[in-house]
Amino acid sequence: MADAGAVIAAVRHSEHARHHSLTGFALAFIVLGLLFAAVAAWRGDVFFFRLATEALIFGGLALSVDVLLGYTGMLSLGQALFFGLGAYVSALVLKNVLPSFWLAMAVTLAVATLAGFVAAVISTRARGVYFALITFGLAQVVAKVVFNTPSLGASDGIIGIPVITIDLVAFDVDTASAAAFFLFCLAFVMALYFLCAYLARTPAGRVLAAIRSNEDRVPFLGYPVGLVKVLAFVLAADVAALSGALYPMLRGFVSPELLYFEVSGNAVITVIIGGMGTLIGPLYGSVLIVGLKSVIGSYTTHHLIVIGTLFVFAVIFFPQGLVGYFKPPLERRLAARRAAVRA
Amino acid sequence: MHGLIDALQFIFAPQIVNGLSIGVAVILMALGLTIIFGLLDVINMAHGEFYALGAYLAVSLLAAGVSFWLCLIIVPVLMLPVGYVVERLLIQRVFDRRDRHVLTLLLTFGLGVVLEDAFRLIFGPNTVRMETPIGGAADVFGMYFPNYRLFVMAIGAVIIAVTWVVIFRTRIGAMVRAAAHDRQMASSLGVPVARVYSATFAFGIGLAGLAGVLLAPIYSVFPTMGKDFILLAFTVVIVGGMGSIKGAVIAGIVLMQVQALASLYISPVWTEPLLFGVMVLVLMWRPQGLFGKLGNG
Amino acid sequence: MHRKSAVTLLVAACALGVSASLLAQGNPIKIGVDTPLSGTYAPIAQQVKWGLELAAKEINAAGGVMGRQLQLIYEDGEANPAVATQKAEKLFQVDKVDFLTGTVNSGATLAVGQVAERNHRLMATTVSFADSITGDKCSPNVYRVNAKAGQQSAALAAWLVQAKPKARVFFLGPDYEMGRSTVAAFKSAAEEKGAVTVGEVFAPLGNKDYSPFFGQIRAARPDVLYTSVAGNDTVRLFSQLDEYGLLKGGMQVVGASGTVTSQNMGAIKKAAEGFVTGVGYSPEIDTPENKQFVKAFEAANKALPDLYGADSYGVLYFYKAAVEKAHTTDADKLRAAMADLEWKTPQGTKKMRAGDHQAIQDMYAVKLSGGEFRIISKVPGAAAIGADECKRF
Repeated sequence: MADAGAVIAAVRHSEHARHHSLTGFALAFIVLGLLFAAVAAWRGDVFFFRLATEALIFGGLALSVDVLLGYTGMLSLGQALFFGLGAYVSALVLKNVLPSFWLAMAVTLAVATLAGFVAAVISTRARGVYFALITFGLAQVVAKVVFNTPSLGASDGIIGIPVITIDLVAFDVDTASAAAFFLFCLAFVMALYFLCAYLARTPAGRVLAAIRSNEDRVPFLGYPVGLVKVLAFVLAADVAALSGALYPMLRGFVSPELLYFEVSGNAVITVIIGGMGTLIGPLYGSVLIVGLKSVIGSYTTHHLIVIGTLFVFAVIFFPQGLVGYFKPPLERRLAARRAAVRA
Repeated sequence: MHGLIDALQFIFAPQIVNGLSIGVAVILMALGLTIIFGLLDVINMAHGEFYALGAYLAVSLLAAGVSFWLCLIIVPVLMLPVGYVVERLLIQRVFDRRDRHVLTLLLTFGLGVVLEDAFRLIFGPNTVRMETPIGGAADVFGMYFPNYRLFVMAIGAVIIAVTWVVIFRTRIGAMVRAAAHDRQMASSLGVPVARVYSATFAFGIGLAGLAGVLLAPIYSVFPTMGKDFILLAFTVVIVGGMGSIKGAVIAGIVLMQVQALASLYISPVWTEPLLFGVMVLVLMWRPQGLFGKLGNG
Repeated sequence: MHRKSAVTLLVAACALGVSASLLAQGNPIKIGVDTPLSGTYAPIAQQVKWGLELAAKEINAAGGVMGRQLQLIYEDGEANPAVATQKAEKLFQVDKVDFLTGTVNSGATLAVGQVAERNHRLMATTVSFADSITGDKCSPNVYRVNAKAGQQSAALAAWLVQAKPKARVFFLGPDYEMGRSTVAAFKSAAEEKGAVTVGEVFAPLGNKDYSPFFGQIRAARPDVLYTSVAGNDTVRLFSQLDEYGLLKGGMQVVGASGTVTSQNMGAIKKAAEGFVTGVGYSPEIDTPENKQFVKAFEAANKALPDLYGADSYGVLYFYKAAVEKAHTTDADKLRAAMADLEWKTPQGTKKMRAGDHQAIQDMYAVKLSGGEFRIISKVPGAAAIGADECKRF
């Protein structure tokens, strides 16, 4: 019988390796982002900055999907609901109340938490496919409501969201400046990532991982499965909504399309291609997908066939995604280095 | 009194009959879906796109001069190998993994995306209308009802009955149910489980394709038509019970009647969310639906 | 990680490629076309493309605009505002277009209009007919050369009051902003002229089965059915109306201009026979300019032009007239030149109202006969235009 202590040490060891390799990917992402910013700024570019910012914003949405899917095993097909909710709330606050970033974010957070809680109570009772269908249906219903509400701009959405200045204590970020806003969003989304990564390593986060492995056993270990699932759902809702809140600041408008299934589905595709369960994978995936769409879009209007096929391919052959694929070699290298240091 | 009869004749009765007609359409879609889930435990997110594939195949055959009635037979037959191959090549690859439910859902979702865009690529984004094969209408008690829809209702009932018979009264059906109930045991008793799985999926897809052909003259053919019925079909399957044919039929009829009559009082836009609400309630309080799994009829 | 660098390199390569092609062609005036080349509006975008290309060819052959050739650059806006704005930004920033057109649905036009404002350049729509674009959501950088919903309703209502005075009208619209507002606009125009509303029902957008509403329609026994559904919905509505025998018995079907178009006419076939709507263009318009235009269009594309093709053809001439008046492509000077600018189009002379950037033009009621729209009445521009509701400038 294996020595209990050795088993625990081994688990902890692999966890450390995982954590370190994922942090490595996260840091690499930041570095690449900064490199990109430097090149683009030098060329005085605006379009690619905004495109990259969009990739980051939708990456945040994908991150929220991964929190549920990769960690808890709950597939949400309606995460666009919270993304769009955040976008609309932010747009309404900025346009009609006060063009203040902090106010918009605060209100978005409050509304998303409340909505997330309500949705969680409804949907987390169900599992697997049923959960997916409920989230799908919820998003459809809310999209329909928004589409038919004249005070929310109905089918045309809301335009005329003003350019704002984000008041950070040390300096200001002007959303009209493509470069500055890009860097801000990079920081913002990475902050969301690190928050989620941190929460995943807390005891509550581990319960989530346990739920994913075998949900039926967890209550016997004394953990409140229902509560933890609700918390995870609300967290994901908040992350999606906060990311969505950035959208009107970038584009100056919101429209019901932001709540449609295409957006939710796209986020799921991004998670799988980037790396389910890694949290940083979806961010890489988002950059890849947004870039691919833009490039392919110049050649053919049928980019969905390409991305769809890529996705099916990934599900069958590379379900661990981009980051998941490159993680083991990195982990091994880090482990080898640690062993060498110790020796 | 006159007002009541008028209302009954012009408003309620047609609404009920309409509800039945739409109900048959949804049930045909739900039937394939529930069988695939009941046996394979696979949620086929591409079911709507196979429905569309059936319709597009019919369009192509009609253009080549084949008669509509022949299409009703040829198209499902053509769909069978398609379903078989999809199950064999794609679904079985992810079947033995731990995350099977999620992966098959994602897989079929991706397949649906590709199929829909493929339709757009091959047939163009425009709507194609199919001539109604049986023209004219019947005048029943002052209610005017198209003959073709009556035909669809009749054929739909026949299809449902045949499906039930095949699954519950034939040897093949017994094998299918056995494999659904206990895969290992069935296999050890000589049931070629892998082939049964593929064949069942093929059968479900064939049903979807047949529905596509039947309904094309009423609802027309265009690339996103798969999305028309899919949410309703899922609702029916869930409320009726995943894997239950009886459930799909009863839930289909009841839910479509609810929708038809509700649309008289509330704005029709809200009837689908209403049904969705029913689905959520069922999922919360009786997740196995009205009639549970395939084994229970 | 390797892929990210590849993407950056690819991006840089694209930018270089674009600049290289720029240098290769002299100094053309670039017109960005942000139009839904894919999806349900693709046939409309096709007509837009045909119209633009014919005009560009003619203008370039005659020496261009102020000696510079016109160059059209296309991007697929997918009729989704989020995508359309991204592509618009690409056109303005990367391709550095001087002017932008091609948006089809109103949400995209409004959102792209904002992008135009932020890039200090002008754009025009040749398709979107939502009143709000030159009404409460007007923009100093957005122009509309086609007729708006209000003008179309005016033409239709004027014809209706002649053809069927005091008609009983039943309204069936798609339940969304555009659907409801077109129904409301026509309803008020018609009621003012003596028509009676006998029923109003809104079906969900993308509704598959309209038969649940037929009971009500039958009970109301209307003379006229007004509908503002579009695209696939029209095909279904009309074929189901036909199925249920509602198209016999003399009920006149009228509707919005977007209801029956080249996109769905082929599918609806005979069921749409007799449909009447109000439009700003018909290939039948009897002027020498139009006859010449139709002939050239048909020769180039083997299809008749519809309102989208004709208005897209007209927009380049509008731009040309403005640039020649202002002697520059600078946005502010162009805007001044465009104020109350008159220019020739196949439909006659149009005037661009300065107050709201809406083109004033004669309107027609047309009826679908034998697969083609025939003119059955005409309303002069001043009568159809309606009030200037733009308060922003």
